[in-house]
Amino acid sequence: MSELGRILIVEDDPKDVELTLTALEEYNLANEVVVTRDGEEALDYLYCRGNFKMRTSDNPAVLLLDLKLPKVDGLEVLQQIKSNEKLKMIPVVVLTSSREERDMVASYKLGVNAYVVKPVDFHEFVNAIKELGIFWAVINEPPPGSIRKK
Amino acid sequence: MSKPEISSPRVTVLKFGLAIVSVAIALGLALLAQVYAIPNLEFPLLLCAIAITIWYAGNGPGALALLVAVLSFEYFFAEPRFSFYVHPADRPLFVLFILFGFIMAWFSSRRRRIERELREARDKLEIEVAERTQQASLLNLTHDTVFVRDMSDVITYWNRGARELYGWTAEDAVGRRTHDLLQTIFPAPLEEINAELLRSGRWEGDLTHTKLDGTKLIVGSRWALQRNAQGQPDAILETNNDVTERKRAEGEIRKLNEELEQRVVERTGDLEMVNKELEAFAYSISHDLRAPLRHMAGYAELLQKNASSSFDEKSRRYMTMILESAKRMGDLIDDLLAFSRIGRAETKKTKVSLEQLVKEVLSEVRPETDGHNVGWRIDALPNLYGDRAMLRLALVNLVSNAVKFTRKRPQPEIEIGCVDGKENDIVVFIRDNGVGFDMKYVNKLFGVFQRLHRAEEFEGTGIGLATVQRIIHRHGGRVWAEGLVDQGATFYFSVPKSWEE
Repeated sequence: MSELGRILIVEDDPKDVELTLTALEEYNLANEVVVTRDGEEALDYLYCRGNFKMRTSDNPAVLLLDLKLPKVDGLEVLQQIKSNEKLKMIPVVVLTSSREERDMVASYKLGVNAYVVKPVDFHEFVNAIKELGIFWAVINEPPPGSIRKK
Repeated sequence: MSKPEISSPRVTVLKFGLAIVSVAIALGLALLAQVYAIPNLEFPLLLCAIAITIWYAGNGPGALALLVAVLSFEYFFAEPRFSFYVHPADRPLFVLFILFGFIMAWFSSRRRRIERELREARDKLEIEVAERTQQASLLNLTHDTVFVRDMSDVITYWNRGARELYGWTAEDAVGRRTHDLLQTIFPAPLEEINAELLRSGRWEGDLTHTKLDGTKLIVGSRWALQRNAQGQPDAILETNNDVTERKRAEGEIRKLNEELEQRVVERTGDLEMVNKELEAFAYSISHDLRAPLRHMAGYAELLQKNASSSFDEKSRRYMTMILESAKRMGDLIDDLLAFSRIGRAETKKTKVSLEQLVKEVLSEVRPETDGHNVGWRIDALPNLYGDRAMLRLALVNLVSNAVKFTRKRPQPEIEIGCVDGKENDIVVFIRDNGVGFDMKYVNKLFGVFQRLHRAEEFEGTGIGLATVQRIIHRHGGRVWAEGLVDQGATFYFSVPKSWEE
C-alpha cells in the first residue's frame, strides 16, 4: 500500500460513522478519513471555509456521501460539487440506505461516480465499505490535486 | 228542414191519390161554376190540379192527373158533352194540356234539383261545423296551452289550457296582442324568430312569460305557421308547456354537478396529497427504518466477534437469533417497499413474450431448487400485453413459491401453461405437486402478511402473493388458486391479450 487517498465521509448518523470507521479500520484504511456530519460542513470542508479555513486546499481522493443529511442534503451537495469547476473532478460515491429509484436516477443525473446501498447485513456492509475504501483510496488514481498520503 | 224522400208503397198510393183527388176537386168546382153559369173556368181549374199534382207528387202522378183531367174535360165539358168523342176543334186544347204538363214537369224537376243541391250544401256545412266544434272542444280538452294568433300577433283562439296556465279567460285574451299580454321575453331577436318561422313554417324555443297574477314562468314554446289557400301566412298556432320546474331542476342538477366536480377536484387533491404522504412514508421507511436495523445487526456482529470466546452456547444462540431477526426485518422492509412501489409505479405497457419471460424467470429461480431435480413442464406460451418488469416479478414470485413448496417432495414437478380465457383474456397457470393448501384458507392466500405455513416449515414474508395480486389487478386481470393439502396447488392469473385503456 504505497499511497492512501483521503476519504471524506459525509454522514449524520454517529452509529453509521462508527460502523463505517470500524470497517475501514479493519483494513487499515481509516487513517486518512475526514468525517463531516452534515451537508453544510461537507461543503465548508470542500470550499476550505468555516472550521476548515486552515486546511490545505487539496481535494479528497473520494467522497462517501449519504443522501439524507441535515441542513443541506446529499443531492444538493452533489449538485454543488458537480457544478463547480474545481470540485467536479472529485469522485463521489453515494452511500445510502435508500433503494428508491428516484434517488438513484437523480444521483446519476447529477454525475455521481457510484451508488451503493448500505446492506443491512453487517458482513455485507463491512465488505462493501472495505471494497469501496480499497478501490477509491488505493487502487483508483485520483484526479490531480488530491490529498494522498505516502 | 225536409227529410230525404222516402218512396214507400204508402207514399206512392198517397201521391197517386193526390192526382185523383185534385182533379176531382177541380172537376167539382168546374161543374159548380157551370151551375152558377160562370163560363170557361173548367180549363184553368184542371190545369191547376195537374200543376199541383206535378209540383207536389212528381211526374208519375202528374201523368195520371193529366190523363184523368183530359178524360174529364172531354167527358164533361167538350162538345158533345157526356161523351168521349173528340171534336177536331178541341185538339189544340189537348195539345195545350200536354204542353202544360211538360212545362210543369220541367219546372218541378228544376225545383227538385235545386232543392237537392241546397240540401247537400247544407249537410256539408253541418258536418264541417260539427268537425270544427269537435276540434275546438278537443283543443279545449288538452292540458297543453294552445292559442292561435294572426300575423299581427292578435289572439284569435285561446284554449282552456291557456286559461289555466296564464289566468286570462278566452274572452279576456282574444283580441289582445300576445307579446303585450304575456310580456314575452324571447331567447333571440324577434326578427330572427319570425324569419325562421316564415322559412321553415315552425319554430321551437324557450320563452319567458308573465301570468295574470304577475308571476314569471318559462315555457317550451312551439310555433306552427298556417298559410291560406293562396299560400300567404295567415295564422300562428302556439303550443306552450310550462317548463319552469324542469328548468329549475336542471339548474339545480347543473349546480350539483358543478359542486360534485369541485368536490372531485378537492378529493383528487386530497388523494394526491395522501399519495405524496404515502410516498414520503415509504421513502422514510426505506431510509430511516433500515438504518437502526443495520446498527443492531452491526453492533451485534461486533459484540459476537469481540466477546464470542466468553459466550456460552445459549448466549451464542441468542446472538444468532438477534442477527436472524434483524435480517428477517430487513427482508420484510424490502418486500413491503417493493409491494408499495407496485401500487405507486406507472405501468409501462408493451408486448411481452411470455415464453421469453418464463425462460428468464426460470434461470433466476433455478438456484433456489438447491440441486433438487425438479421436473419442469413448460407449455407453449403466447404473447401478451403488460408491464414486463411487473409481470416478471409476479412470475418470479409464483415460480419460486412452487419451488419452495415442492422442496420436500422426492420428485418435484412444476408445470407452467396457459389456457385461452374468455374474450380478450389469457389465463396462465403454475401447477405444482407440493404441499398444497386447504381450500378453506383460499381467501387468505393473497392477503398481505398472510401465511399458511409456519416459518420453520417454509420461510417467507407473506407478501409474495399479495404482490402478485396487486400486479395482476393493475393489469386488469384476476388471480385465483386451487389446492388440496399434500396434493399440490395451482395458481392462475388472467391478463388481457391486448391493452385497452
